[in-house]
Amino acid sequence: MKTLSLKNLAKTYFDPYAGSHVNAVHDVSLNVEQGEFVSVVGPSGCGKTTILNMIAGFIPYTGGEILLDGKPVREPGPERGVVFQSFALFPWKTVLDNVGFGPKMRGVPKAERDRIAREYLALAGLSHAAHRYPNELSGGMQQRVGVVRALANNPDVLLMDEPFASVDAQTRMTLQEELTRIWQERKPTVLFITHDVSEAVFLANRVVVLSKGRILDQVEVDLPRPRVWDDLVKDDKFKQLSARVLQMVRAA
Amino acid sequence: MNILLQCWSGYARMTRRWPALAAIVPFIPVVALWSAVAAAGIFPRAFFPGPVDVVNSFFTLIYKGILPDYLGDSLIRLFTGAAVGMALGIPLGVLIGTSRWAHRICWPILLFFQAIGDIAWLPILLIWFGFGLTTMTFVIVYTVLFPVVLNTVLGVESVPRDLARAARSLGASPARVLWEVTLPGALPNIITGLRNGLGYGWRALIAVEMIVSTSGIGFMMFDARRAGSTVEILLGMIILGLLWYIVDAWILAPLERATGQRWGLVTS
Repeated sequence: MKTLSLKNLAKTYFDPYAGSHVNAVHDVSLNVEQGEFVSVVGPSGCGKTTILNMIAGFIPYTGGEILLDGKPVREPGPERGVVFQSFALFPWKTVLDNVGFGPKMRGVPKAERDRIAREYLALAGLSHAAHRYPNELSGGMQQRVGVVRALANNPDVLLMDEPFASVDAQTRMTLQEELTRIWQERKPTVLFITHDVSEAVFLANRVVVLSKGRILDQVEVDLPRPRVWDDLVKDDKFKQLSARVLQMVRAA
Repeated sequence: MNILLQCWSGYARMTRRWPALAAIVPFIPVVALWSAVAAAGIFPRAFFPGPVDVVNSFFTLIYKGILPDYLGDSLIRLFTGAAVGMALGIPLGVLIGTSRWAHRICWPILLFFQAIGDIAWLPILLIWFGFGLTTMTFVIVYTVLFPVVLNTVLGVESVPRDLARAARSLGASPARVLWEVTLPGALPNIITGLRNGLGYGWRALIAVEMIVSTSGIGFMMFDARRAGSTVEILLGMIILGLLWYIVDAWILAPLERATGQRWGLVTS
């Protein structure tokens, strides 16, 4: 079992203008089991993106530890795939080459990585766009590419940093439904950062509420799958859970 | 009125078929005015020759083999200098753009030397290297270097941080990030730098050839002054403009557009 575990994770910045230390994250402990979908939700400035950046290895942490499969995490690595709010697709590469980038870095030959990329593009319904460049796609399509690019590298854990925050509301719902579908098919381990409570509840098995750099509470989401918005907006349990999480976030 | 519209429509269609035509047409009134002034005989013809005289001298000099030789010399000097300038400038620009320390150390020095223009180096270069190829190459490399370095730095710094992060978390080593992300991301700016560098270099070369050289277009023009041949001076000037127009509009600008626009890095 490849568990992602955060043990008393902390991040302290020194703010040279204020001349003092700032605790962005303190004492966060969290386990994400293999195949689990965990949402982290909290108001802006609560440290959720900082936590994700530390797990991804983009910024160093100053206390505690991050373990993946028992091994400490210090630098970025392909076993932790990242989906960015800004999509972060390579503008000079076609969609196919973007998705095949991870395999390319592993030394997979061209024909094989094209086959892998096509398989994942089909998963997101993007086969027709294989030879286009990212700037020729809509925002929603770009982020589909962003998701399958990370998945095609077969990471142990998928880190998603408010990935749907910059697409329009209708597209966002479609992307959320697609993500739950893909998750059910492939069962990747996902840590999903968002400030949107209903998104967090809709997607996850478990919602972690973060406030001022600390975990406030965790809520199990045992809604049946497949989840589609048309059903869930009418579902009492979904409404209850969302209301509960929202209350925590607002009180935070 | 109708005839004017017809003419306009004909012109629009012609220029769409042969875009080069649109670049030539604006020169028609310029050349016409020049012919008229020359033909009016206000100035002595030896001082102010007309277009026909210049074209004649063009063919004479080609026939004698002087013009092709000189043009070849100038272009080889320019492209050698540009190649060396790029070979130095792109790595230096990448270093300064990626390392905060290199930036702190090199940037003030760079701006200092940028202010000492190409020609300002000539006195000391003539003492060190004498009248020759080394001096000319130095000036060209120097002139090309700054726009290439400064634009490369700009390009490297404009690559979004998330792109490098994405590449790293997809398994790219820092060296591969440089090759797969930083360089392609900076490429449109590097080409802009090259385009500016070649433009400055071309002008600097002509200036240096006048002082230092025994061949090249700049030398031809200065030598013509000694011989009092206004025609050859004008011919030299026209060749400078024409050649640059061809290199810039037909090679460099399309290259710049092809990278930037295709990737959506440059709008319009």
